[in-house]
Amino acid sequence: MIRDITIGQFFPGDSFIHKLDARAKIVITVLYIIALFMCKNFFSLSLMLLFSVVCVFISRISPKLIWKSLKTIIFIVLFTSALQIIYNNRGEVLWKPFESREFAVTTGGIYSAVFLAVRIIALILLSSLLTYTTSPTMLTDALERLLSPLKVFGVKVHSLAMMMTIALRFIPTLINEIDIIMSAQKARGAKLDNGSVGERMKAMISVFIPLFVSAFRRAAELAVAMECRCYTDGASRTRLKVMKMGYRDAVAFGLLSLVIAGALFTSYYGFSSMFIFEPVM
Amino acid sequence: MTKETLIEFNNVSYSYDDEEENKRFAVKNVSFTVGRGEFIAILGHNGSGKSTIAKLCNSICIPTSGTVTVGGMDTREEENEIEVRKKVGVVFQNPDNQIVASIVEEDVAFGPENLAVDPKEIRIRVDEALEAVGMYDRRFSETHRLSGGQKQRVAIAGIIAMRPECIVLDEPTAMLDPKGRARVLKTVTSLNRELGISVVLITHFMEEAIGADRIMVINKGAVKAVGTPREIFGQPELLKGCGLELPDTAKLCEKLKLENIDIRGDILTEDEFVDEILKLTGKTE
Ligand SMILES: Nc1ncnc2c1ncn2[C@@H]1O[C@H](COP(=O)(O)OP(=O)(O)O)[C@@H](O)[C@H]1O
Ligand SMILES: [Mg+2]
Repeated sequence: MIRDITIGQFFPGDSFIHKLDARAKIVITVLYIIALFMCKNFFSLSLMLLFSVVCVFISRISPKLIWKSLKTIIFIVLFTSALQIIYNNRGEVLWKPFESREFAVTTGGIYSAVFLAVRIIALILLSSLLTYTTSPTMLTDALERLLSPLKVFGVKVHSLAMMMTIALRFIPTLINEIDIIMSAQKARGAKLDNGSVGERMKAMISVFIPLFVSAFRRAAELAVAMECRCYTDGASRTRLKVMKMGYRDAVAFGLLSLVIAGALFTSYYGFSSMFIFEPVM
Repeated sequence: MTKETLIEFNNVSYSYDDEEENKRFAVKNVSFTVGRGEFIAILGHNGSGKSTIAKLCNSICIPTSGTVTVGGMDTREEENEIEVRKKVGVVFQNPDNQIVASIVEEDVAFGPENLAVDPKEIRIRVDEALEAVGMYDRRFSETHRLSGGQKQRVAIAGIIAMRPECIVLDEPTAMLDPKGRARVLKTVTSLNRELGISVVLITHFMEEAIGADRIMVINKGAVKAVGTPREIFGQPELLKGCGLELPDTAKLCEKLKLENIDIRGDILTEDEFVDEILKLTGKTE
């Protein structure tokens, strides 16, 4: 169960999206998310959603995987939607549990519940596509390049990027280890999935202490192994894969600009009357 | 040995303790050489100082006393550090804790990248290294999805890609299943035979040492014996004294001798054993 987590996983391929420059992909994702939060009605939101869906389609990542990543956030989606339905009382009242309008289910509540759900789904779609189609090394290399202006302020950008590479590399290893330790402690009678809350908390300590000990040992060994491979401060490192912006990236930026322009135009000019109910955040 | 010396330990001692008094030495007065293209096995049981010797080979550990030289360079000099590590690569026991990147080829590229090798050249080296360990087909795989043996071969490729003259392997098969172990051993042997890379194989599996040119037995940080596999395995008492066992074939021969069967005393490989049995039973082909 715990192994289902797909954060930071990469699925190699040779689609248009896979071939985009990692820096371009990061910038596109960030711009997309900003635009997503500026959308004011379903017209603009649908346009944005369409963009993510088309991207997923082009990437040829199996819909099953996409569903997997969406499943992990479904709780958040349902939760925010439920809050909207309960607390947003604008529009026509559909069902009133109390005398007052408070907590009533209204058209406004449903409208903004759906609106927020779609927004989160669109956000997750594109950002999981970023990690699914970009190798962790490329991703962190790209971040390093994008953040390199911060070096002026003394930020150790390379170290941060290396930390991220290693973190991404060890997520599956540590998840696997948690699984093993949990089984081992259960076999010793640890009450991990039955027993009172207090008992379970105590049992979790018996999982995390061995995990930490092992993580520190791994860190020490990895540091030695990296030294053996001549790692120093990374200042003069070259890369196997040279990052190069190409026509693909230009095309991607062009398309994104069109979509964002369309979404913002429909939000602020032509169709502003379509938006009736401000969602409550 | 007429071969050119690559690594030379000269009366090396090493202690992990910092204080001056009552130092416990992990390695004591060790001297040996590794020649170019040589295959040396180091045998010793747990805590005998094998890993420490591995780390002394490429200036991860600096001798407390005595000197280690690699290609004539003293490992104590800080300016030699990178050159020494370029010449001598070390592979450790746990493959999981040596792999830095999430994708096989990116991990193999880590060493050459650190050495600021040109990207085109890195590509060539990575492909060659992966071919050499038989992992080229898995170059795009995620490292965490590989088996232990495959991970260890990737770790070896990561060192090969740095084009070292010598590769030191610290119990590379200790955490592997028999199949993975056999495959890793075959890889190591071929690196030595085909690419002419010197190999120092640290192990406590006697079978793995049979193919070596020389074996060095260590116990409690000190060298107990150096010799060819036949010389070393011909001294069962010495091995037992160091907490080691004979290879299976040699054990079997010993038992047969106890049964008053007149079998040669220096049999090491299974093939030799089969030949000898056939000869004894008069069934030689
Ligand atoms: N990092 C360390 N700090 C302190 N003592 C150590 C350290 N590593 C090893 N030792 C000690 O040095 C001795 C030799 O260890 P090691 O070289 O790891 O042996 P081996 O690899 O043959 O099992 C052991 O007694 C061990 O306890
Ligand atoms: Mg050891």
